Amino acid sequence: MSQEFRIKEKGYINRNKIINFRFNGKNYTGYEGDTLASALLANGIHLVGRSFKYHRPRGFFAAGVDEPNAKLQIQLNGHSEPNVNATEIELVEGMVATSQNCWPSVEFDVGAINNLLQKFFPAGFYYKTFMWPKSFWYKIYEPFIRKAAGLGIASTKKDTERYEHKFEYCDLLVTGSGPAGLASAYAAAKSGAKVILAEDKHRFGGSLLMDDVSIDNLSGKDWADKIISELKEMPNVIVKNRSQVFGYYDHNMLVMFERTGDHLEKKSEFTPRQRLWYIRCKEVILSTGSIERPIVFGNNDTPGVMLSSGAKEYMKVYGVLVGRKPIIFTNNDSAYETAIEFKNNGADPLIIDTRKEQSSDLINDAKNKDIKIKFNHAVIKADGYKKVKSAIIGELSEDKKTYKNTSSVECDCICVSGFWTPSVHLASQSGNKLKFDKEIDAFVPDKSKQEEITVGAANGNFTLHDTLNAGFSAGSQVSKKLNNKDVDIQIPNVTEKKHKTHDKFWCAPLPKNIKAKRFVDFQNDVSVTDIEIALREGYRSIEHVKRYTTLGMATDQGRTSNLNGLQLVSNIENKIVPEVGHTTFRPPFTPVTIGTIVGREVGKHFMPTRLTPMHNWHIKNNAVFVDAGAWKRPRYYKIGNETMLEAATREAKNVRDKVGICDVTTLGKIDVKGPDAAEFLNRVYTNAWMKLPVGKARYGVMLREDGMVMDDGTTTRISEHHYHMTTTTAQAANVLSHLEYYLQIVWPELNVNVVSTTEQWAGAALAGPKSRDVLAKLFPNINVSNESLPFMGYVEGDLFGVPARIFRISFSGELAYEINVQSDYGLYMWEKMMDIGKEFGIQPYGTEALSTLRIEMGHVAGPELDGRTIPYDVSLDGMVSKKKDFIGKRSLTKIAFNEANRQKIVGLVPIDRKTSIPEGSHLVLDKNAQLPNPKLGHVSSSCWSVENNNPFSLAIIKDGKNMIGKKLFAVSPLKNKSIEVEVISSHYVDHEGKRVRS
Amino acid sequence: MLYIKCPYCGMRSQNEFAYGGDASIKRPELNKDVSDKEWDDFVYNRKSPRGKHVELWHHVSGCRQWFKAQRDTATHEIFKTAMMNEEI
Amino acid sequence: MQKYSVFSLIKNAFSDHMNWEVAWKDPTPKKEYDVIIIGGGGHGLATAYYLAKEHNITNVAIIEKGWIGGGNVGRNTTIIRSNFMYDANGRFNEFGMELWRNLSQELNFNVMFSPRGIINLAHSDAQMNAYARRGNSMRLNGIDAVLLGREEVKKHIPMADFSDDVRFPIYGGLMQPSAGTARHDAVAWGYARQADSMGVDIIQHCEVEGFNITNGKISGVRTSKGEIKAKKVGLCVAGSTNILAEKLNMTLPIETHCLQACVSEPVKPLLDGVVTFGAGHFYISQSDKGEMVMGGDLDGYNSYAQRGNLPTIQHVLTGGLALFPFLSRLKMLRTWGGIMDMSMDGSPIIDKTHIDGLYLNCGWCYGGFKSTPVSGWTFAHTIAQDRPHDLNSELSLNRFSTGYLLDEKGIGTKTWIG
Repeated sequence: MSQEFRIKEKGYINRNKIINFRFNGKNYTGYEGDTLASALLANGIHLVGRSFKYHRPRGFFAAGVDEPNAKLQIQLNGHSEPNVNATEIELVEGMVATSQNCWPSVEFDVGAINNLLQKFFPAGFYYKTFMWPKSFWYKIYEPFIRKAAGLGIASTKKDTERYEHKFEYCDLLVTGSGPAGLASAYAAAKSGAKVILAEDKHRFGGSLLMDDVSIDNLSGKDWADKIISELKEMPNVIVKNRSQVFGYYDHNMLVMFERTGDHLEKKSEFTPRQRLWYIRCKEVILSTGSIERPIVFGNNDTPGVMLSSGAKEYMKVYGVLVGRKPIIFTNNDSAYETAIEFKNNGADPLIIDTRKEQSSDLINDAKNKDIKIKFNHAVIKADGYKKVKSAIIGELSEDKKTYKNTSSVECDCICVSGFWTPSVHLASQSGNKLKFDKEIDAFVPDKSKQEEITVGAANGNFTLHDTLNAGFSAGSQVSKKLNNKDVDIQIPNVTEKKHKTHDKFWCAPLPKNIKAKRFVDFQNDVSVTDIEIALREGYRSIEHVKRYTTLGMATDQGRTSNLNGLQLVSNIENKIVPEVGHTTFRPPFTPVTIGTIVGREVGKHFMPTRLTPMHNWHIKNNAVFVDAGAWKRPRYYKIGNETMLEAATREAKNVRDKVGICDVTTLGKIDVKGPDAAEFLNRVYTNAWMKLPVGKARYGVMLREDGMVMDDGTTTRISEHHYHMTTTTAQAANVLSHLEYYLQIVWPELNVNVVSTTEQWAGAALAGPKSRDVLAKLFPNINVSNESLPFMGYVEGDLFGVPARIFRISFSGELAYEINVQSDYGLYMWEKMMDIGKEFGIQPYGTEALSTLRIEMGHVAGPELDGRTIPYDVSLDGMVSKKKDFIGKRSLTKIAFNEANRQKIVGLVPIDRKTSIPEGSHLVLDKNAQLPNPKLGHVSSSCWSVENNNPFSLAIIKDGKNMIGKKLFAVSPLKNKSIEVEVISSHYVDHEGKRVRS
Repeated sequence: MLYIKCPYCGMRSQNEFAYGGDASIKRPELNKDVSDKEWDDFVYNRKSPRGKHVELWHHVSGCRQWFKAQRDTATHEIFKTAMMNEEI
Repeated sequence: MQKYSVFSLIKNAFSDHMNWEVAWKDPTPKKEYDVIIIGGGGHGLATAYYLAKEHNITNVAIIEKGWIGGGNVGRNTTIIRSNFMYDANGRFNEFGMELWRNLSQELNFNVMFSPRGIINLAHSDAQMNAYARRGNSMRLNGIDAVLLGREEVKKHIPMADFSDDVRFPIYGGLMQPSAGTARHDAVAWGYARQADSMGVDIIQHCEVEGFNITNGKISGVRTSKGEIKAKKVGLCVAGSTNILAEKLNMTLPIETHCLQACVSEPVKPLLDGVVTFGAGHFYISQSDKGEMVMGGDLDGYNSYAQRGNLPTIQHVLTGGLALFPFLSRLKMLRTWGGIMDMSMDGSPIIDKTHIDGLYLNCGWCYGGFKSTPVSGWTFAHTIAQDRPHDLNSELSLNRFSTGYLLDEKGIGTKTWIG
């Protein structure tokens, strides 16, 4: 029979819509509005998983986020997801659920042998063993442990669903839509404040859905519905269900995740699966409610044992009876409501109350309904393996440490209530130091650290009357503070049952003759004995207890175990709970999908991609691209079956022989303007800048204050007070911030402004002996002769109607120019140059050829300027002015930087003139020396010299100055290579620099 | 995420800013003789106190102005921000 | 001291585990010690252990303001490696690797050191070259290193994104096969237990309030439990270094920052080794429990709060997802923050100070855990012999004045960029 535990006409599910799903290979049905847990329970299924360590059978323990056991592997829409909380996930057509951590099945699990051997697996056992023989840990023991651990199975398939981020600002965020939340949101919203009300669950109302109360003659649920519909009508309110605020960060930034698509059978393509909300709020009201605390007893982990509030929620919200012969084991009044609900639905409950006989509204109600009550009793132990069959109960002695008598009672479930624990996680995350409230034996928020107020059960307030009052008053208080408006709200009339005080009874003692494990933390299998052992061994700080036993470290984060653990420690240590303290509450409140945290920056969108205006041309011409920071640059242009080396060699040779064109748009460009610009450059660069004439460019090197070379590039004086600075592609952003730092902080007296113009200009380098011929045709109105436009000259021109800047600068060592036009004309310029250059044999060249050209010229770049080289090291000491001061100069006096045998850049050629030297090789005197083999330096850049048709490398080596002519070995043990090399000058081509000036 | 008041633009989330370290560190004047210790105190040595810390922030994804903030390094509370030429 | 073994476990099981001895005692401080180590973290506990074991100095107290192992040794991502470019760092940590390999047996406490290997992924030829430089340096120092091509990386981590839909494809990586992980808490507890058994006093919940210095020589410390005399004092307080330095009127090349890490829910074994992403700040390993342990960037501003903010975690996980798309449907279970003593060149300082008898151990940045044994070993030597050992002679305080820096990353003094 299907859904035999469904109660007729109860609950808020939609019985008109039947949902089909599978669990452990069998088909079941549930209704729309069910969670997976409620649907399984409706079908009489309690056993859903096995525990982490002992593989003990486990069932549903709760009905919400506090569930420690029911973590299932879920398959839906082609995706498989581990560790899904069955008590939270809404039932969707076609859902396939499987138990985790058991083999071959949850019914028969081989791993349960651990349960028989549990005596040998106390807390911390693995620290004491698995040490012999030594090699066995990594090879034998650990792989076995790893295989046994873990819960579900992570799918390695790509997640095709979409996640979104949203940023929101509001006056007030209310977390939780129980009575406190509704009241405060309502009061604040009435004053016009911008309010966001967030509810984790699908249904609004929190405890109002379950508790037997009335507000203004409406049932709790009807009142909640009324308030919610009013709030939804208000334009200043955002009401969100399926939305959990999971983190309270600095400066009132709270983060929430919304389950936008998980409950939908079919999503539109525009519906994300989940959405992350960053919410910056002026005020926060935390109305997160409370969680029921279990009482610890023997075999309290048996399926069928669950929280009393959970059982009530399954009946009231889902119309599901979790047992027909329940035991209600309690130390307080609230569980009586569960018993009464059982009775109303035809079950036969027995209440075991640890308190002495007494009366209250609820106790009397229960008595009037002929519910059996055993006062001064406790459940000692549950019996039954895969499901509770009976319980051993006992009459408590006077000190409640032993029993006067014991007996066995048949039952099919045990609903346990050890009073209520406020959910103080968010308050604690905000920085609120918690205080211990002796009345309720739990921590509640103390003084607010940020702009937050905690109200209702989360603040230890367990009556509806007080909670509503606190909610309305907090809401009004916030609106008064924000808008200076008073709101006049009639506080509704409330009918609720008065409760008697609870009993401070947390753990049923175990008589000597009864053997059973008493679990404190279910998911991590931490029992009372484990905590006792930890304390016995000196792990006495609560953090030590937690770490040694793993108490509270499972995926439920100890929601049902933390306080019981604390109580146990304080009992054994003879301390009060606040002395023991609590472990830190850290975000997230419940586990959050990593995809949601990441959002849209996945796949190719991991980082923005920057493209030059000529990008499409490069694609059309078979460019192979390379990443340069966020930029894509052509690495080489492939013709036919060329290898990269062949293409780069062809391109570089074409530059040396004829003319080439390279897209240099990616270089950083900064406009430096103002009357003090020259003075500023003079301080920023190591060389002199005061006398650079208008229309001239100069190469400059800048240092960090620690003396290391930061960047290099040319800067051109465009006009009297206007300089155009270029930086390397990699350092563009850093250099701009660096300049702004000095202008705004160190030398504010300088009248200079800087702004990035990288995006404003497209750039093309025109290099090679024929480049002047091309230039002449590009700019027929300009005299491009060597005299008129010499090396380091600058002129503005008209490129067929487009204003252009022409710089005579060279990175390749050839006669070369760099032409800039406004970005929109980049492609126009490029095509013109290609067109006009055709007759001179122009070819585009990429970064590989560019590297080849600069390496054989001995020009340094990124591999040499690695943040660990001073000017001397890279032979830029000639650029360092002795006369003036500049950024980083003082550091150059350090002893290490002035050693006689200081490292310096050199050139290397292999003795055989054939074998390329891999970059990253190190230079040694003796390739066969014993390790550690002393290193002289490393190979920073290598190329195939097109000029000399043999390999050439740059290296930075100790005493480089005096090493020219020496023979060394370049060794790369990683590549199993050792190459005999000769040290030569780092300038392998055109030593005198004639070509650039030709 | 910190909420920082740029003295030029107003309240903005931290992701618009870059950090710049201790604002009490003053660069020695140019062309002045500085001892090794003075120089190293400028380049390397930091108090990095627990509690109030006056520090530099740069509104990189905004007005690109550097400014000062007084912030508690233990609680992250920001007491005050000021332009570079203002006292804090 | 009770010996831990499978036999003692079985024996104790039959007495219901009632007869286990305490792992360490809870003594009240004596009036005077030969050496006081301030800081009961991994490094402090290890230092005390090696003082006793290697130098026979047992009149030692460890003073801890909280509970032992509560600092970074209990809140790190457990990675152990010696894949450094500079000789000083490489040799120092390789000596440490040898200590790690025998640590469980030496301490009679299973610290679960597993040489599961670390792969630093490269996403460009330039990065491959930089890794080659580092790897070759390691090999010439006698440290294991392998350069992996893309296909070899794929064999190790087939679930990484090798598709076309990636921003920065994997080119290859540098692997140190002998690198690995260990159980962090166990390291603190193992050292504490052995140190205690050799006579070291472990004094918890005792905060240092000041130092007594006479004629340039240390004579003791003032604590929340009173004044304690000492001939020598070693500072091993990582993220609290600047606070104690202030009490000593010292300014150090150290800044204090918060680094966050996070774990996913546990899943069945999927990832055996440690992997770092080369195109962003992200590293990952899977714990024995099954959790994916992940970390990356600093929060980016001076901080003593052991709490960070979500954007940093988001940034780190964005890198994670770019590398391992399967992470998308796992859930982030827990985040936490630790306080880092970031040195100005990224390498640690183990040295004497200008105060006679006062020794400094700091600047671990976010790599202190891996060096726990060798840090303790060399610091103990430095204290006992009143001079650095060869292994830590270059990890000097004055290298910032002389310029003999050990900047593995070449980023200079902006510690918050990390």
